[in-house]
Amino acid sequence: MGQSSSSSGSIHRTYHRSVSRSEILSVINSNRGNLNMKMKTDANSEANNNNNNNTEAVTDANANANDDYDYISEIPDECLAIIFQSLSAGDRKRCSLVSRRWLVVEGQSRQRLALNAKSELLPLVPPLFTRFDSVTKLALRCDRRSVSINDDALILISLRCPNLTRLKLRGCRELTDIGMAAFALNCKGLKKFSCGSCLFGAKGMNAVLDHCAFLEELSVKRLRGINDGGAAEQIGPGVAASSLKTICLKELYNGQCFGPLITGTKKLRTLKLLRCLGDWDKILENIATRENSLFEIHLERLQVSDDGLSAISNCSNLEILHIVKTPECTNVGIVAIAEQCKLLRKLHIDGWRTNRIGNEGLIAIAKHSSNLQELVLIGVNPSSISLEAIASNCQKLERLALCGSETIADAEISCIAAKCMALKKLCIKGCPVSDQGIEAFAWGCPNLVKIKVKKCRAVTSEVSDWLRSRRGSLVVNLDICGVEGEVVDASASDSGAQEDGVEFPPIGSRSTAVHADATTTSNGRSSSVFKSRFGLFGGRSFVACTFRRWSGGTSSFNGSS
Amino acid sequence: MSTTSQEKKLVTLKSSDKEEFVVEESIAVTSETIKNIIEDVGLELIPLPNVDGKTLAKVIEYCTKHSTGSNDDSEDIKKFDDEFLNSNQIQVLFDMVLAANYLNIKSLLEKVCTKIADRIKDMSVEEVREVFKIENDFTPEEEKKIRDEHAWAHE
Repeated sequence: MGQSSSSSGSIHRTYHRSVSRSEILSVINSNRGNLNMKMKTDANSEANNNNNNNTEAVTDANANANDDYDYISEIPDECLAIIFQSLSAGDRKRCSLVSRRWLVVEGQSRQRLALNAKSELLPLVPPLFTRFDSVTKLALRCDRRSVSINDDALILISLRCPNLTRLKLRGCRELTDIGMAAFALNCKGLKKFSCGSCLFGAKGMNAVLDHCAFLEELSVKRLRGINDGGAAEQIGPGVAASSLKTICLKELYNGQCFGPLITGTKKLRTLKLLRCLGDWDKILENIATRENSLFEIHLERLQVSDDGLSAISNCSNLEILHIVKTPECTNVGIVAIAEQCKLLRKLHIDGWRTNRIGNEGLIAIAKHSSNLQELVLIGVNPSSISLEAIASNCQKLERLALCGSETIADAEISCIAAKCMALKKLCIKGCPVSDQGIEAFAWGCPNLVKIKVKKCRAVTSEVSDWLRSRRGSLVVNLDICGVEGEVVDASASDSGAQEDGVEFPPIGSRSTAVHADATTTSNGRSSSVFKSRFGLFGGRSFVACTFRRWSGGTSSFNGSS
Repeated sequence: MSTTSQEKKLVTLKSSDKEEFVVEESIAVTSETIKNIIEDVGLELIPLPNVDGKTLAKVIEYCTKHSTGSNDDSEDIKKFDDEFLNSNQIQVLFDMVLAANYLNIKSLLEKVCTKIADRIKDMSVEEVREVFKIENDFTPEEEKKIRDEHAWAHE
């Protein structure tokens, strides 16, 4: 790297630092903003000006972090910190090995840290948190095969990170209620708390809720400690009930004990209940009776019926609703919601091919949900009548996904092409459409930006080529269907959802396999393929008996420890 | 210091190497430093002994482009920023960081820092030291200790 003097060809432009200062300088140099300049001495600027090769100067220099002979030392620490901000953790690690100064700056500017939370971490806690003294967002993850950190370690960490705003625990099975309580006392500023596969219980959870008065987001997955016996201790509301905005519960046997928390959280905006046992209608009814500002609700693989949906219809501020694989919900519930929740913007329905939600519900949506922007239908079998209604009436509909339907074919798709004026992105997966139906998009949907077709056997590359030639600006994403009867259920792994490019959250369930001999899911990211064959899971009966099996508390989602 | 409503107020910025740049005040005050000087001291000729002419010229170019009131996210501006900071010589970027810091132009500072970060990305420790001409002041034991700590930190 040459110096500026040689490259620009103009020696006069070399950076002079030893220019004599006028009185004005003192005014300019007063501490406004980020003034942290180090002025070089005359001797040094000479050395800089003299030659392009700094190695001489460098070897002469003392091994002192403040030495002026390297470029970066000129840059103030705050600027170095800004540089580090754009770097990945791996890059930051490498940077911290460059020099002592870099080590210090990197450590002190690190706000986010994720640690391997094995029990052997304990002795390293003091030096780690001396080096990383500004951590506000912390993740502690322990793998299944190792013994995790215990209460002592957590307490020590909490003492070193009093300003923690976010904590994520995964697989920290040695933590008990005692550790959690102590942690809560030390980190009262906590805003987000997420735990998965931990073993503490209601007392620990209540401690967090009682001490962390600024808690906004709570996410609990597989908390085994609250499973004991019949009389599970109730959780909440606690002090946090007045600040909590998001509650997410996944795979809990005793999720019902969170009842008091859910109903006591007055400002709750987002509620997600995924694969939790028990009947949830009652709790939903309790929320709905009071004034609420619920804006987003996700219900997945839950025992919830039209009663629960009717309760939800009282949430007049509801904008986002996901109803995924809840076979007791029917058109009745959907109609109730459509009629009352006028602000509905994003709707995802996975009907699980039970045919309990179909035309009737969708027509109601078409009639009332004038604000609808995004619609995802999985395992739902509508016909033209409802699709046309939606296409015509939902004038703001920009994103549409249709997956795993037995009835959506060319005629139905043509309605959409003809009537859906605002549509920008369309995804069709595992539906009996053919080239003929897709052709319509060469001229339909004037605002269409992207179309994606997956696993539709009768759609070939011919139509995608043709579309591209007819409509150059349209992004056409087509994958040719492979094996017959391949996985149609859109429960592809996360990568499948991401490759969509459409701004949908992952379509389909990431749930554990229901199939009896399916391999159990691994902890965390589930890549289990829901090995459904189109025909097998068609009927309600299978689903119903699966549900019964599941409700019996057997090992459906117990596979991974 | 009353401003005439007819003409746009101008200020003169003087670099360390005595180059003078006449700039509209409304553009110059993109720099918080300059803004404060004008507000507090009311100078019309502002010496900036910490910035050389070449760098100051570029900074002024940046401020001019960014003070047209246009959206910072527009394609035009993004393209300009990309080319503007596209330099093979890291010294140019360093000069810019120092200038942006001194002149307190937050958006420019962040962008230049990101550019420098792009250089550092995927470089090995040795390469970083070489490029930035930094000497390794760790003892082997210290280095080992740091690497041991790293084994525990995922991100």
